Amino acid sequence: MKKVISIMLVLVLTFSLAACGKDKNNAKNTSTSTDKTETTETTDKTETTTPEEPKKPVSINVTTTYAGNDGNAQNFQDAVKAWEKETGNKVNDSSATSDETFKARVLADFEAGAEPDVLFFFNGVDSNTLIEGNKVVSIDEIRAEYPDYASNMKDAMMGASPVDGKNYSVPVNGYWEGMFVNKTVIEAAGVKMPDATTTWDEFLDICQKIKDAGFTPIAASLATVPHYWFEYSIYNFSETGKHNTLAKEVSDKQGEAWFNGLSDIKDLYEKGFFPDNTLTGTDDDTVQAFIEGKSAFLIDGSWKVGGIEGLTDKVDDFTVTYVPGKNARKSTDIIGGLSSGYYITRKAWDDPDKRAAAVDFITYMTRDELVSQFAQYSATALKNGVTVDESQLSSLAQEGIKMAAGATSMTGALQDLIPTECRVPVFDGMPNLVSGTVDIKDAIQQVLDLLAAR
Amino acid sequence: MNSNIYKKKTPIFVFLIPAFIFMTIFLYYPFIRNIVNSFQSITGLGTAAKGFNEPWYANYKTMIEDPNMRIAIKNTIIMIIATLVGQVGMALLLALLVDNIGRGKKFFQTVYFLPIVISATALGLLFNLIFLYDKGMLNQFLEILGFSGLIDWKDQHHAMMTLLIPVMWQYVGFYFVILITGLNTISEELYEAAVVDGATKLQQVFYISIPLLRNVVCTCIILAVTGALKVFDLPWIMFPKGMPVNSTFLTGTYMYYQTFNSNNVDYGSAIAVVIVVLGIILSKVANKLFKEKDY
Repeated sequence: MKKVISIMLVLVLTFSLAACGKDKNNAKNTSTSTDKTETTETTDKTETTTPEEPKKPVSINVTTTYAGNDGNAQNFQDAVKAWEKETGNKVNDSSATSDETFKARVLADFEAGAEPDVLFFFNGVDSNTLIEGNKVVSIDEIRAEYPDYASNMKDAMMGASPVDGKNYSVPVNGYWEGMFVNKTVIEAAGVKMPDATTTWDEFLDICQKIKDAGFTPIAASLATVPHYWFEYSIYNFSETGKHNTLAKEVSDKQGEAWFNGLSDIKDLYEKGFFPDNTLTGTDDDTVQAFIEGKSAFLIDGSWKVGGIEGLTDKVDDFTVTYVPGKNARKSTDIIGGLSSGYYITRKAWDDPDKRAAAVDFITYMTRDELVSQFAQYSATALKNGVTVDESQLSSLAQEGIKMAAGATSMTGALQDLIPTECRVPVFDGMPNLVSGTVDIKDAIQQVLDLLAAR
Repeated sequence: MNSNIYKKKTPIFVFLIPAFIFMTIFLYYPFIRNIVNSFQSITGLGTAAKGFNEPWYANYKTMIEDPNMRIAIKNTIIMIIATLVGQVGMALLLALLVDNIGRGKKFFQTVYFLPIVISATALGLLFNLIFLYDKGMLNQFLEILGFSGLIDWKDQHHAMMTLLIPVMWQYVGFYFVILITGLNTISEELYEAAVVDGATKLQQVFYISIPLLRNVVCTCIILAVTGALKVFDLPWIMFPKGMPVNSTFLTGTYMYYQTFNSNNVDYGSAIAVVIVVLGIILSKVANKLFKEKDY
């Protein structure tokens, strides 16, 4: 009897599950057909009398580099709030400081299918996998549906992808890399302020005098942010106009430029011009020491203007000048460009609810007024140029504008041509190079091998 | 009715199956997949393998020659020893001391257990501030005591010690709670009898507490050994990327570095396999050495 009841119960359960499945399908079909009918009806009604229904608020996930010490972090947050208020939409902001971890995180998110809807990211080789994997939408594709998208930008300056030469991102503010100077240290050490005419050898003399006066000449964490010194040291040995090209062999001209440039960093380290904890301290630690008047020079990007303004009340104690040049490079040949921009991910584009919101968000964030506010002293791709009231800027920001205006040339960063994982031997490995643990030529060869293996 | 429960095993299996399926999907399948990955060429997370390595065991061959892997294994062994002495040893000492005090037992139990509930990230940041080169708590303290010059607690000479102290401190409370629970299970009558026989407090500890705590200590040792092989979060916060000069890599942090920073996913998988193999071997050895006894 029990067996019979058990069999009956199992059969009932099986049939009910099957029935549920069938109902679900039916329900789905019915729902779809009803939806279709409703849509048709609604369309008809819209065409005649009924006003358009208000759009439902949408939540979009946004990841940018406007965070931490970035000078525009607050501007970005304010703009996001204003957009949310204006549209009723919501932004889930997962912005983070731009460093190697951030890049790795973003790429890993894409690999894992957890990418944001809108991404402010680099447009160099770092974005290659996004383009190759069709993970982001091209400007052309967006313009097919939204013809006015990014129409306030110069297409030629938007930062085309190295993969196919197409534009995918809408830039906001460009950057330049310069040498920030703590004037109080220069005065206390009694040395000449470096300027556009200062040569590399003169710079070394200045550093030695600063060190003898009891200060650290250069604020840099070679353990975490060796990028800026990597760029300029190699630029000092690159052929004119060829800095932004990759070496093919260790022994070719660009390979030699890498070797000589990295050897110069090692030389600076051995001379004791970097902080004692340059191989163990973080960028925050060394920047703090610079702010507190313990170090004289800091090579960083234009975004550091805002960073310094946020870290000290005595912004007049700081200025920015050219990184002293060597060989064919004049000090006024600087590194800069428009290396980042807003992307719409394929995931958001394919989501009918998020598509319009993502387009609207980027259009809002790249309006002339906001771009001017963000860019101020840095380059933009705006057709109408920026509108900046210089009297409202700090002395440091004004120095930045002067420095960029006085540049004899501006070239893109070499690191933008090297994918993150291929930089490991010379970026993560910089402490090994300067301490002599790893041979510089071996490290360059490793980078070239990694590039070749891609 | 009751006898039916014991006779029929089917319901038990029904309840065991969901957990088994869960474990299969989320643990055993990924583990087997990871072993396969370690023989393939994978240059990005989530990207398809480009085929098998040539030779297929290339990653394991590289690992033998990789100086960073040697550093990672050496540091992990140091970590295991430090864990045994600094965590289990210290926890045993504290548990025996706390067990012998009358009042304040609860207070000390809470105090020693507290680090466990703080996230490793927060602890990492806390210790970063303590060991900070410029204006760190420790250097300021030394300055007050009259020492001149700053000490870089994260340089190559101090790095491992700076790494081990917070890791040991973090988990002392965990083993302390296990051991104090073990001490509570020892019958009071044994101590009373010992007192009647004239045993001192120290003799009670050596002849009653420690022998009867042996099995609990064995469990703690096995947990400590396997835990030390997996430790990742706190060391990574304090010494990311094996800083300085790759001298602080542990097997766990090196695996993460290869997978997420170098995008060398297949090599990271091979390191993960080695971690598991080491874990099994070491826990077997620990089991043999500290075999539990029936009393």
